[in-house]
Amino acid sequence: MLEILIHGAVSSAIYAMLAVGFTLIFGVARVLNLAHGSFYALGAYGAYVLTTQLKVPLFPAALLAVALVALFGVVVERVLVRPMRGSQLAVLMITLAVALVVEQALFLTFGSEYRNVPAFVDEKFTIGGVDVGGQRLLALGVGAASVGTLWLFIQRTRLGSAILAISQDPVAAGYMGIPSDRIFSIVMAISAGLAAAAGVLAGPFLSVQPTMWLLPIVKAFAIVVVGGLGSIPGSILAAMMLGYAETIVGYLISTSWTEIVSVFATLLMLVVRPAGFFGRRAAF
Amino acid sequence: MKRMAVLATAVGVIGIWASPGAAQQAKPIRIGVPTAMQLQVGRDTQDALKIAIDEVNAKGGVLGRRLEMVVADETENPETGISAIKKLTADDKVDVLIGGYTSGVTLAQLPHISTAKTIYLGVGAASPSITAKVKQDYDNYKYIFRVGPLNAAHQARQVTTFISGFVKGELGFGKIAIVGENAKWVQDLVPLLKKGATEAGADVRVTEFFDTQTSDFSPLFAKVKDSGAQYMVVILSHASSDVFAKQWYDSRFPMPYGGIDVKSMDGDFCDRVGGKSVGEMAANFAVRAPLTPKTVPFFDEFKKRTGRSPVYTAFGAYDAVHIYAEAVTRAKTIEAGAVIKELEKTSYVGIPGMIEFDDMHDVKAGGKGPSLLFAQWQDKCERQVVFPKELRTADFVSPAWLKK
Repeated sequence: MLEILIHGAVSSAIYAMLAVGFTLIFGVARVLNLAHGSFYALGAYGAYVLTTQLKVPLFPAALLAVALVALFGVVVERVLVRPMRGSQLAVLMITLAVALVVEQALFLTFGSEYRNVPAFVDEKFTIGGVDVGGQRLLALGVGAASVGTLWLFIQRTRLGSAILAISQDPVAAGYMGIPSDRIFSIVMAISAGLAAAAGVLAGPFLSVQPTMWLLPIVKAFAIVVVGGLGSIPGSILAAMMLGYAETIVGYLISTSWTEIVSVFATLLMLVVRPAGFFGRRAAF
Repeated sequence: MKRMAVLATAVGVIGIWASPGAAQQAKPIRIGVPTAMQLQVGRDTQDALKIAIDEVNAKGGVLGRRLEMVVADETENPETGISAIKKLTADDKVDVLIGGYTSGVTLAQLPHISTAKTIYLGVGAASPSITAKVKQDYDNYKYIFRVGPLNAAHQARQVTTFISGFVKGELGFGKIAIVGENAKWVQDLVPLLKKGATEAGADVRVTEFFDTQTSDFSPLFAKVKDSGAQYMVVILSHASSDVFAKQWYDSRFPMPYGGIDVKSMDGDFCDRVGGKSVGEMAANFAVRAPLTPKTVPFFDEFKKRTGRSPVYTAFGAYDAVHIYAEAVTRAKTIEAGAVIKELEKTSYVGIPGMIEFDDMHDVKAGGKGPSLLFAQWQDKCERQVVFPKELRTADFVSPAWLKK
């Protein structure tokens, strides 16, 4: 029981980091970014390259990996997505193309074998009789903290208000003097950075290989559909639901069934309430 | 005038026919290599083939013809595997196929190999179903041979010996858990293993299969821990052995593990996981020890050329080339039917042992044939053979957190 509670929390935290970024860029810029999973993959690979091949110490390497991927996200938004903003379908396709190109690039550079991202925390902790690797607990802690910080940022700062304003009504926000293009870049950077951070934290105990972008994007998609596109609280709630559902299925039934849960959840929500829990077309 | 022309043509033809240069232009014998190019098993297959081909060519080739190879990526996907076979047989028109890794892929390729009437020497896939077809339908499937590895049934028997002789016999762990990936060869192997282990007196507390794509083993570990087992026997090939080892270490799992772990056969596996597999025991088909007169020279040559230690497909690939070359030489033709008759009579001293085929064209185990050696990753990622006792190079070392 406690096993499920703890491992479910770890999964939820990682999923939340992925989903919140995904829903953010959609809520603000109406961009369905299929390359979001690639940011996750690049975060993990970035940490791998910096620590193993460039011999950068772990903590600076992690921060650097996140920063570089955030920058990459901004470049993708500026160069590839912005010209296509007129058509949602075009944006979808260009981001999918980015995801595929990144996968092939990783494949060619690193081969298909699993790579090792070193863990920040090597020790094992025993909580109530349950053995948990330290890295997992770190992922839980950092995940919860970063999502919480983001939420506070959006609610309390001027920049956060600007983001909220654009998501409610881009035209009115423009009249108020809010520079929407710059905000989009900032939001993309946050979104990519969060995904990269998830990759850096989860890389040490999950698999790091070129196709690792696919499952996270499917799950992030499932989560935002269930939680409501554009809603941060919705994403957090749905991330927890999915994280726990998968963990429960894994422990009580079998690990072979975990991947079906997210797909099933998406299907169910689309049939029952397509807008998701907290979905509205506009604000979070 | 006309007579002169006819005479000149006749002289020209006789001249070309008799010139020694003509014999050396003989078409090379083409070896098609369907393998998982992106993985270590695929890379080592190719490198080992190159070594063997160079050796054969240095001695004048086979029937005066050089050997050359053409590679096609079969990945781990049956669809791609079938395309690879079609490319090799129809486009590249190879004379023989040497390769393979995933049993599911090989099974899908069999009908196409049969249609192409090309001899296939398997070096990587372990499912007995592959060679079973030879007996069921000889005329269509006589082209299929397995040079390596030992099929899953033989491996099950050898892992059973490992469990009874070592895990229970020496370490004293009577309660075991059997954990395997959900792949064809494992589905063939585990029931035999469970039966054999139970008959040998071990108490199999839990048997679990998991999806090959699994990246989070905590639910699985929880089940194994709760079962009361003292040792975790694993059967892994395609699954994420790297992640498995890391998670086993991270949670300081309260029991050692070992068994068949193909990725752990890689020389750099332990380094790849940051040393977290120290304590794992994995089966190997050969190590750098004089199992036969060919073993050590091959390991050294392979290391010299590639800087790596070879994995199991390399042994099969190297031996397959020589076995084929000798069979063709005895048959004095490369026509498939005649070569197959000679291949069936093979008795060749290979790298892991003596290679002979049974009535299903499957490499025989036992006696002088190949057998599984169990090596443990020890301090500083050094690999030591721990079982069987006759080949032991170091004693078993408990994982650090389990030392009393």
